[in-house]
Amino acid sequence: MPGFRSTNRAMFWRIIRRLLGANRGRLFVILLALGAGAAVTAALLNLQVDAKRRLTTEFRAFGPNVVIVPHESSEQTLISMLDQSLLDRIPDENDGMPVTKIGVIYVIVSAYPRGYSFKDGPRRPSNAVLVGTQVPNPKSALPGNALQNSESETYKASVCKVGLKAASELHVQKGDVLDLTNGMSSDHCYVLAGDGYGSAEDNQIFADLEIGQHLAGTSGRISQIQLIVSGTPQQIARFIAALQQQLPEAEVRPIRQFTEGEAKIYNRISGLLTATVAIVLVLTGLCVMAAMTNVAMERKNDVGLMKAIGGSVRRVLRLFLAEAALLGLAGGMIGGAAGIFLSIGLGKAVFGVAARPRLIVYPVAVALTIIVAILSAYPLRRLASIRPASVFRGEA
Amino acid sequence: MFLRLVADSFGRRPRHKLLTGAALALGMAVATAALSVALDVGDRLAKEFRSLGANLLVTPQADSLPLEIGGVDYRPVNAGVYLPEADLPKLKTIFWHNNVIAFSPVLEVRVASWTPRSSPSSATFVKPAANGDSVLIGTWSNHSVALPDGRSFLTGLGQTSPWWRVDGSWFQDGAGECIVGKAFAERNGVIIGSPLYLGTTSSDGLSLKVTGIFTSGGSEDHAVVTSLSIVQQYVGKPGQYRKLYVSALTKPEDDFARRDPKTMNAGEFERWSCSPYVSSIAYSIKQVLPGADVRVVRRVAEGEGQILTRVRMLLWLVTGAALLAAALAVGASSAASVIDRRTEIGLMKALGAGSGTVGFLLAAEQLLLAFVGGGAGYALGIILARLLGERIFGAAPEPSLIVFLVIIALATGVTLLGSALPLRRASRYEPAPILRGE
Repeated sequence: MPGFRSTNRAMFWRIIRRLLGANRGRLFVILLALGAGAAVTAALLNLQVDAKRRLTTEFRAFGPNVVIVPHESSEQTLISMLDQSLLDRIPDENDGMPVTKIGVIYVIVSAYPRGYSFKDGPRRPSNAVLVGTQVPNPKSALPGNALQNSESETYKASVCKVGLKAASELHVQKGDVLDLTNGMSSDHCYVLAGDGYGSAEDNQIFADLEIGQHLAGTSGRISQIQLIVSGTPQQIARFIAALQQQLPEAEVRPIRQFTEGEAKIYNRISGLLTATVAIVLVLTGLCVMAAMTNVAMERKNDVGLMKAIGGSVRRVLRLFLAEAALLGLAGGMIGGAAGIFLSIGLGKAVFGVAARPRLIVYPVAVALTIIVAILSAYPLRRLASIRPASVFRGEA
Repeated sequence: MFLRLVADSFGRRPRHKLLTGAALALGMAVATAALSVALDVGDRLAKEFRSLGANLLVTPQADSLPLEIGGVDYRPVNAGVYLPEADLPKLKTIFWHNNVIAFSPVLEVRVASWTPRSSPSSATFVKPAANGDSVLIGTWSNHSVALPDGRSFLTGLGQTSPWWRVDGSWFQDGAGECIVGKAFAERNGVIIGSPLYLGTTSSDGLSLKVTGIFTSGGSEDHAVVTSLSIVQQYVGKPGQYRKLYVSALTKPEDDFARRDPKTMNAGEFERWSCSPYVSSIAYSIKQVLPGADVRVVRRVAEGEGQILTRVRMLLWLVTGAALLAAALAVGASSAASVIDRRTEIGLMKALGAGSGTVGFLLAAEQLLLAFVGGGAGYALGIILARLLGERIFGAAPEPSLIVFLVIIALATGVTLLGSALPLRRASRYEPAPILRGE
């Protein structure tokens, strides 16, 4: 009996080999359809997981979205201050995503360019807001208005960025020296061209935190801390709540304009992505299934022959299902691998960073392909009712 | 005879044709849905991005340097220049008037505030002990702007700063009502319905009724917000404002958009001003508001542009992948339907048909299938796109003719390509071995 069974099994595989090898054209067509489906499945699944993560970091473009101020403050930012050591107590990461910290001090200073000629009018110092900033972890990419360290090094001295409107008001250009005074303290800085921000920054002078503290006559004190926190809306909310507990002496609050806007947009985009991917996957599956079923229907002759030489319906069916599963496995493995590479390329094209391949996606894509392949072979069940004789007579 | 052969082929093997057609229709449905959504998503998302509020800021050109910290201007009231409110309806007459979805003028003044001594209805006011100074912001809540063409346009701070959350209700324009920031309310013990007295002394000020308490998450939480006309009267600057927030629907900026319009030639300038870039909208607003400086709020506009570009690209890639998968599956299906007709082809050739005729006949069949399947797929895809659009954005994408044409062309191309290879082989078949069954 075991001998019979093993012969039987050997025969089973032999038939399958023959079935697969019999028609190269058909084999190619099937693998093409299944592989394409698997590739798209793997690529989209991989991209979808990655894209959502990336999106949250894209929102960094909006700049700070959380601010830490002294209690009962805001309008008296000039009076009450925070201790600078708070900066070190804020975590550098939130769920694995970087948190950019910016220490800020505001001082109202009198500013006038050095070497100002009397020909251009009376020498009249203008009042302006000086913003001293410091980024303790500059490695995390920083959009917007902070000073870059490299610029500071080229001048080998203190530099400041003067906002567009402030620059025209103070009559300074890149390379000029700006004298700054506030009460008894005075300082100077080399002017770098500022960009137009279209907001309050245009009227301000940006310098290093130390210059600001020197002019304000304090050391180790700052007006507020701005944070750029990336993550999903829930992650940001959790971060704020945790930080508030950690820093009871200050007020941690979201900049609602950005946190709420970001949350809304994030939800829309991720919903859109999920829905599109789901629809594409379902339709692709159906489409591959329809194509495959078409191929399967051509197997009438084979079924007829098998039944004629004594194959039971169940065994014939098992044969074809095994064939379909094998094809699904092969198509899924080839297509899935192609899809993962595709998604790496796509991720690079969209976000500039290659999507990290997620290994879980691969078996899922292969399994889905096998299921689709088996389901598409299912209509062969109808062939069970075929009468071999009529097939051979060329009827039906 | 040709038509009969085609019709006969469909009638004889209806199930095969149905399955090939179904594969085609499903593939094209994927393509249609993805294409429709990708085409539509820019506009929809641009609208979503308006929840970030104003992306354009208008200030007087000749203004002195504002001493602004955390949104509060530390200049005295008499410093600086103002802009006339009467010019504002012109915003809805510019070329991009449909893209301007909201605007609100703002006039701020620092005042001292008094709250009722004991009960909200008490007539005597006391200046609160802590931090008496606060900011009074005059703006529009739900203001109807009479446009030059006779229509009116309803706008206000609720639209330019949609993240403000108001408990109670917004003040009515000019009705002696105000809303107060949450921090202000907590500090001064103000509740909805209580009267508020604002002014430099206890006699020359304003008496307002609090109708709501708002949170903005910004410095405004310490301020009192009331209608523009009340503040104008109080400051003695009737019909004037200092800042204008404009919220406009824009197209993400590219390198072309960032060029200085002064350096463009006539053709380029026309192209630039006919694209709703935020900078060209700013330019046309400047044309109608003399003496004003219109600046793009870079933080909002650039972040928006960057994300919109990324998302759009992402969707196009998803669409591309969907099209590719659909094309391959459909191609495979058409290839299969040709491969399995060897006998038929052999018979036709034996009866004297040339390779060209056979190829033409099969191609005609495939084309017919492509049109029917493509059309069905388009209809199915549009339904899906509608469902998707309504679920996510609350509005369905408009069916577009371009998508239809693209889908039909794609269906035709894919079926023909899919059957081209097998057809070429079929044309080389020798009829005799096939008919012998070899």
